[in-house]
Formats: sequence, structure tokens, C-alpha cells
Amino acid sequence: MKRFAPAGLASSMPITATPARLLRLPRWLPDVAFVLPALILFTVVVIYPVLSSFVYGFTDWNGVSPDVHFIGLRNFTDLFADRNVRIAFVNTLTFTIVAAVFQNGIALGLALALDHLMGWLRGLATALRILFLIPMLLSPLAIGYLGQYIFSPTFGALDTLLADAHLESWTRDWLGDPHLALGSVIAANLWQYVGYNMIIFLAGLQAVPRDLYESASLDGAGEVQQFWHVTWPMIAPATTISLILTLIGGFKVFDLIFAMTNGGPGYATESVVMRVYREGFQLNHFGYAAAISITLCLFIFVLSVALLSILRRREVVV
Amino acid sequence: MSARGAKAVRHTAALVPLLLWTVLLLVPLIITVGIALKTRYDLLVNPIGWPQPVAWGNIGTAWQEGDLGTALMNSVIITTCGVLGLIALGASAAYPLARRVGRWPTGIYVYFILGLIVPLQLGLVPLYRAWQWLGLVDSQAGVVLIQIGELLPLTIFLFTGFIKTVPRELEEAAAIDGASQFRTFWTIVFPLLRPVTATVIIVTSLVIWNDFLIPLLFLQQPDLQTIPLAIYGFVGEYSQSWNLIFASIVVSSLPIIALFLILQRSFIKGLTGGALKG
Repeated sequence: MKRFAPAGLASSMPITATPARLLRLPRWLPDVAFVLPALILFTVVVIYPVLSSFVYGFTDWNGVSPDVHFIGLRNFTDLFADRNVRIAFVNTLTFTIVAAVFQNGIALGLALALDHLMGWLRGLATALRILFLIPMLLSPLAIGYLGQYIFSPTFGALDTLLADAHLESWTRDWLGDPHLALGSVIAANLWQYVGYNMIIFLAGLQAVPRDLYESASLDGAGEVQQFWHVTWPMIAPATTISLILTLIGGFKVFDLIFAMTNGGPGYATESVVMRVYREGFQLNHFGYAAAISITLCLFIFVLSVALLSILRRREVVV
Repeated sequence: MSARGAKAVRHTAALVPLLLWTVLLLVPLIITVGIALKTRYDLLVNPIGWPQPVAWGNIGTAWQEGDLGTALMNSVIITTCGVLGLIALGASAAYPLARRVGRWPTGIYVYFILGLIVPLQLGLVPLYRAWQWLGLVDSQAGVVLIQIGELLPLTIFLFTGFIKTVPRELEEAAAIDGASQFRTFWTIVFPLLRPVTATVIIVTSLVIWNDFLIPLLFLQQPDLQTIPLAIYGFVGEYSQSWNLIFASIVVSSLPIIALFLILQRSFIKGLTGGALKG
């Protein structure tokens, strides 16, 4: 400011009279003051504990005693041989992939339908949009208990409904059968979050300029062609976000399974984060639990980077 | 096919899946409310029908037995303090990160964003030890600080994205008038951030209100329990009383549903902001 002002005016400029100017505080100081509180808290609560966990992954610490020994990569070689860890990873991966495909598929279908309804019965469409989001407001813990009741055998809501509809042969012990339990948990998760994915797709759809459809149909493109050549490329950013959110949520799933099956029957529905909780907090194998989390972390990281680069490339081409 | 016929087909193709999903969504919700209002006997003989005598008393019993009043109070305190803290720390940190260019602001932004990817359960044991050492276990302040720390990445991500879309002219004028950066931000920029602030309020309060693992580990005293802990404890104690369990779930979900209905416009807009910007 001062440099550009005529010499005689400079002293009368109010800005030069502020204490900050007189003390010649560096320009970046206020910026630092803005960022610092958040930076400190985030470092203490997230970064420091996560980094020290990374170190503990190479030790035999039990989480309590002052006795800590570095054991190199033994935790990692152990976990690759550990059947329970393998099951937990397979379950988490199955949960995440099935959820990603079905949740996003159903959500996209509903979003297309709702997008159409928006131009026809706007009031109903708005009401449905609100209704579809209600389940995501409930705590996953509550959904887990709800699922436990609905899927319980004979007296559960689902089996009762099936029996009332004279479909007795369809009734099952949904959560007691190791082949059905994971599917039931995935269904409960899907029920809760489809609305969320749908809202993201819907926003993408609503942002597609309508004249693109008009010119496409003038060029003789049919409904299906319009979807693949106009809609699908235009909603690429929404697809990216929706998929990434499902994947990250899926890898971290805990509360829902904890309440619905507690990992059972046996280990049939146990997720990686549940395994970490068991090893770290219940069995006092903290070093081992840390090694499992490091592996999960790498897994998530590699997968999100790979997926992001694929999805972003699709966005750029368009 | 006539144009009108094609339109009818399209309308049907849109309505049928939407109605199907509406039914699929409403049936479990109605069953939940129904069970919450059933007597134990009614639940045995008529597990999914509408409650025969409507047992409004369940709500009171669940409220008393689960100590839901205390839990509700604790959840409100922790959620309110957490959200206010997040707005104060998150918005002010996002401001320079959105406005300055260069290696430092970008680096710090990426540092915060890392927190979105890392599974936070990873650090729980060291965090617990640190909180023990600081005397923050079994204190609401301790839990509020953890919630703020863990949600800062999301909050900063949302605020930074939005601030970048706010024109700078007003701030520059204020700076020329000699206003400090602090005053410029809180009196001129912050009021322009209302839409994203509403998003932050609803998204973070949802996470804090429903969070289970952190209160489970860090709040062991019964008089400090939050709503999910109350439901958890309730299930442990009355494992066969599904009617009371469901009553406690219904009561504890109402405040967050009310908040959503009040803020739903900005909520939907905010949730989907990222989908438009890409």
C-alpha cells in the first residue's frame, strides 16, 4: 500500500497507523494464527496417535505394560498366516465391493427416476427426496439392532412377513446361517445409505444442461443412447464421489456389524476394524492390532488412488 | 407408439421403482415405531402388526430405565460444543488455506485432507494413553476435543471449497479500511458462508450424535453416557425387551430428524456440492 501512495499522503493513511504496522509484524503471522489451533488439535488427536501406531506395528506391545520390544516384521508375517485376519479382510472386501456395486446401482436408478419426477410431480419428488434420506440419520448402532430383530428367525419381522405371505419355504435363520449373515448385514447397510448415494447422483443429473438432451435427440439419439453419450459422462464427478464414499465407509464398517451380529456366527461377518478392536482392546495384542490397521490403511490408500486415477481419467476424456 | 404413450411409459418407469423403494423404506420404519409402542405380550402374538393397545408407557419406561434424559443432555452438550468448536477452528483455518497460494498453504491443506483417508481407529490406543496422561478420560471436554480433531479434515475440506467461490472484493475493501484480518473474516467473510456452515452443522452433528466407539472407550461413567451408549447399555440389560429397545431408539433419533427437517434444504445442497464441482 505504502509503496504506491504519494509520499505526502502516506502518513495520513489509516492503515499505517495500526499497531501491526508499527511493530512490523510479518504478513504471514495472522494466517498462522488462523490455522494454528486447528493444526495443533488435529496433530494431537489424529496424526500423533496414528504415527505412533505405525511404530507399534513393529513391536510386541500389549497396550498396557511399559515393556516394548521391536520385533521387526513378525506381526506382518503372522497376520498373513492368521486365518481370522484373512477372513476379516475377505469379509470387508466382499462387504465393500457388493455395497459399492448394489448401493450405487440402485441409487443411480432411483436418481434417474426422481430426476424424471422432478420435471413432472415436483412436490412428490421433493418429499421422496427427504424421505429417502431419513435412514442415514439413524445411528448405525440402532440400524444394527433393528436389523438383528428384523432378520431374527421365526419371530423376526422378515420371517413373519414371509410366513404371512404363505412363503414359509423362504424363511431362514438369516443371521445364524454363515452363508446368509454377511448378505443380511450388507442389506441393512444398503437400506441405510442408498438415499445418500441417490442424492449425490440426483445433484449430478440436475446439473446436466437440458439443451444437451435436445440436441442429442435432434441428432436422432434414442433414450438409451442419450444415457450413454450424455448423462453417463456428465455425471462422472458424481459417480466418483459416490463410489469413493461407499468404499471408504465400507472399509471402516464397525458399529453396524457390532450391533447386528457381533461378527458372528463364528467369524462369518467380522470386519477388519472389528478384528483390530478385538486384538487391540480385548486381547491386549496392541502391536499386532496396529500391524493389521497399517495393512488396512495401505489397502485403502492403494485402492483409492487407483480408483481415483481411473475415474478421473474418465472425467477428463469427457 | 404415440408420443402420449411413450410419455406414459416413462412416467410408469419412474414411478414404479420409486414406490417400491418407498415401501421398502417405510415398512422397517413403521415396524420400528410399531414395536416401540407394543406391550410384551402383543409383541409375542402379533410381532409386526400395529400395536393392539398402543403402549405409550414404553416411551416413559425406556426414558427412565435407560436414563435417556441424562444421555440426551450429554449428547446435546457434546454435539453442540463439538460443532461450535469445529466451525470456529475449521472455518478460520480454511480461510488462509483457501486464499493463499504457495507451497505452505497447499502442504497444510493436504496434511489435513490425509485425515479423510486414514482409518481413525488406528490411533485409538495411543490416543487413549495420551488422554489418560492429560486427565481427559471420562470427561466431556476430552470427547469433544477428539470429535473436533477427527472431523476437522472434513470441515476444512468443505469450508475451503466454499471460500474459494466467494469473491474477494469485500475483504480487500475492508483491509484497505484498516480492519484486522481477524475482524474481516468474522464480520465480513463468515456471514457469507452460511450455506456451507449449515452443511457442516448437519453433517458433523450427525457424526458426533451417532458416534459409538469414542464414547464407548472414553466415557465409562454412567452419568456421562451419550445416546448410543444408552442404547447399547439398554440392549445389554434388557436383551429380550425389544419393545423398550425400539422405544429408546425412536426417542433418541427424533432430535436429529427434527434438525434435518429444519435444515434439509441446505443439507441437500451442501451434501451434493462436491458432486457438482467434481
